[in-house]
Amino acid sequence: MIEVIDVTKTYGKKDQTFTALKNITFTIPDGASVAIVGKSGSGKSTLMHAMSGLDRPQEGQVVIDGEDILKLNAKKVDEFRARKIGFIFQSFFVQANESVSDNVSLPLEIAGVARSERKQKIAAALSSVDLTEKVANKAKNLSGGQKQRLAVARAIVNEPQIIFADEPTGNLDSVTGQKVEDMLFSYNKEKGVTLVIVTHDADLAEKCDIQINVIDGEIASINKKGSN
Amino acid sequence: MKLIDVVRRAGRSLRQAKVRTLLTSLAIGVGAFTITLSLAGGQGGRDYANAIVSANTDRREIAVSKPIQTNASNGVKEYDPSGSSAPAAQSFGDNLNEKDIEKLRTFNHVESVTPGYSPTVNYITTNGQKKYVVQSVSSYTDAVKLSFAAGDAKNLGDNGIILNEEYVKALGFGDAKSAIGKTVAIGATRQASLATGAPEDKEFSYVVKAVTSESGLAFRAQGSLLVSEPAVKTLYDFVSQGTPAYNQFFIASVMLTDQQYAKEAKAEIEKAGYTAQTAEDLLGVVNTFINVLLGVLLGFGALAVLTSVFGIVNTQYISVLERTQQIGLMKALGMRRRDVGRLFIFEAGWIGFIGGAIGSGLAILAGTIANPIISKQLDLNGIHLLIFDPFQVAGVIVMLVIIAILAGVFPSRKASKLDPIEALRTE
Ligand SMILES: Nc1ncnc2c1ncn2[C@@H]1O[C@H](COP(=O)(O)OP(=O)(O)OP(=O)(O)O)[C@@H](O)[C@H]1O
Ligand SMILES: [Mg+2]
Repeated sequence: MIEVIDVTKTYGKKDQTFTALKNITFTIPDGASVAIVGKSGSGKSTLMHAMSGLDRPQEGQVVIDGEDILKLNAKKVDEFRARKIGFIFQSFFVQANESVSDNVSLPLEIAGVARSERKQKIAAALSSVDLTEKVANKAKNLSGGQKQRLAVARAIVNEPQIIFADEPTGNLDSVTGQKVEDMLFSYNKEKGVTLVIVTHDADLAEKCDIQINVIDGEIASINKKGSN
Repeated sequence: MKLIDVVRRAGRSLRQAKVRTLLTSLAIGVGAFTITLSLAGGQGGRDYANAIVSANTDRREIAVSKPIQTNASNGVKEYDPSGSSAPAAQSFGDNLNEKDIEKLRTFNHVESVTPGYSPTVNYITTNGQKKYVVQSVSSYTDAVKLSFAAGDAKNLGDNGIILNEEYVKALGFGDAKSAIGKTVAIGATRQASLATGAPEDKEFSYVVKAVTSESGLAFRAQGSLLVSEPAVKTLYDFVSQGTPAYNQFFIASVMLTDQQYAKEAKAEIEKAGYTAQTAEDLLGVVNTFINVLLGVLLGFGALAVLTSVFGIVNTQYISVLERTQQIGLMKALGMRRRDVGRLFIFEAGWIGFIGGAIGSGLAILAGTIANPIISKQLDLNGIHLLIFDPFQVAGVIVMLVIIAILAGVFPSRKASKLDPIEALRTE
């Protein structure tokens, strides 16, 4: 369960401050799929960063598994992200010069997974995104859709508890985007992984269990599937 | 993150920028090359000096002479018409006389004292051959390690002589072996005959016991004819007796019972007003010279390394800027600051290692090729002047790795401090 309690994030100092998140509070049950929607600049990415332990908002709590991650020290937060979180970013962020398998290997190495275990985990992740035959290729030789699938493989390889995806289909054509979406949802259903997707694609948001609507750093509405 | 994975990733990043890595390494490689060669030269030089000194002297041996009198210590003297202030025959320094020799024999740990007899003789010849000029005749001592082409010095006796190969050829013996057992004669002139006061010529005959072969090390005895100490004394007495220089020795060789007393005996002899030089002293002088030379060369090497440090800082700093996004990703995925820092530290270390290995490797290669050439040019008879000590080479590489790592500290701190959110925002 993810509990976001009264989170406020401000940028800048003194009279130049800008409040990107204002008193945000909501709860996400385990295994849910969540869409964070809103206009550009409304604070979606900022919220995602705060929820995932990448950023530290000035006020509030983010309680995951009963633990307020905002109170953890730097080392513990890093460890928390490495063990429990999978990230997918809008612009892929795959390492172009490295091989597909080295890209997927990174989270495993960071989490300190033994070399012997890695191989099998990498193979499983690549096969679930249908990239098995590309294992030895350089990432820069992949197509855009393949790169984003590689990013999905990297996000799921260490079997995270929560996957955060910031506009995972924003850079893809609708057919390829559809494919990546399907992968994420099926992973969410099969493994019971909590999925948090930042998007401004209404169709994608529709498919999620919960839609959180952000306007100017505040929550405008929270819709649950079948209850609106 | 496991250390081995950090090291491996560092190596991979470098491989992805091969040309840049190599160019940066080459700068440090120049330093490694210079330092490795200098050290090899220093080692070789010291070994060579050591070999020369031990081939020409015994560590039990102390060369003793009277201190050289400088004008400064004497000051300018007023002329005395009675003649007592006229400069002596040997105006520089005093010579050692019989009394001095006797006195030296009484010192502790002294086994024997041999005055430096160097009689001036005229020629050497053998039956049916011409007469050839003799440079010098000296006494054979086993302190000098000679190499023999034929025979040996064991049974030199009082009428034995050791020739060198040049005389063997000149005297028509054919080869060294056939010279052994042959008789040669040395002609000398007594300047003032005791009986008549006129010069007197005489031939002394010797049996050839050994022939020395040329050695790159034993200079002291080379070119000299060697006879036993009593034999050289006989010659000396014949030539010099009755002259003012008789029993006036420029130098004497004091042989100790054991080399461990060298320092002690030297101090004692010097206290008695003599100048004393041990084999160690000689080596010390030569080694000081070699060390100064080595220091200069190492200075150049250090300068090259210093320059390469800035190269490494620059390369790594640019690398951090270029890889902002990668660093951001790694940190977002939970890589710890310490590990990000280490990644760049290891990259710098790798650069140092590659540079050190290339530089030292090339130095060893160059040295191996140059050694026989140098040896031939300087007539060292196959002695190698560049000696590569594996521990020294490894030490140089380790040192350069450490320096490279220190150079990498600043860029690596920059990397470890990057904010992942900021870093991921840059496209
Ligand atoms: N480091 C920062 N300093 C100052 N303001 C910032 C900073 N980061 C973000 N902001 C501001 O915070 C607000 C929210 O930004 P955020 O990136 O969360 O928007 P978003 O909803 O993800 O937009 P988009 O859909 O375009 O990605 C924006 O107005 C942005 O300008
Ligand atoms: Mg955004």
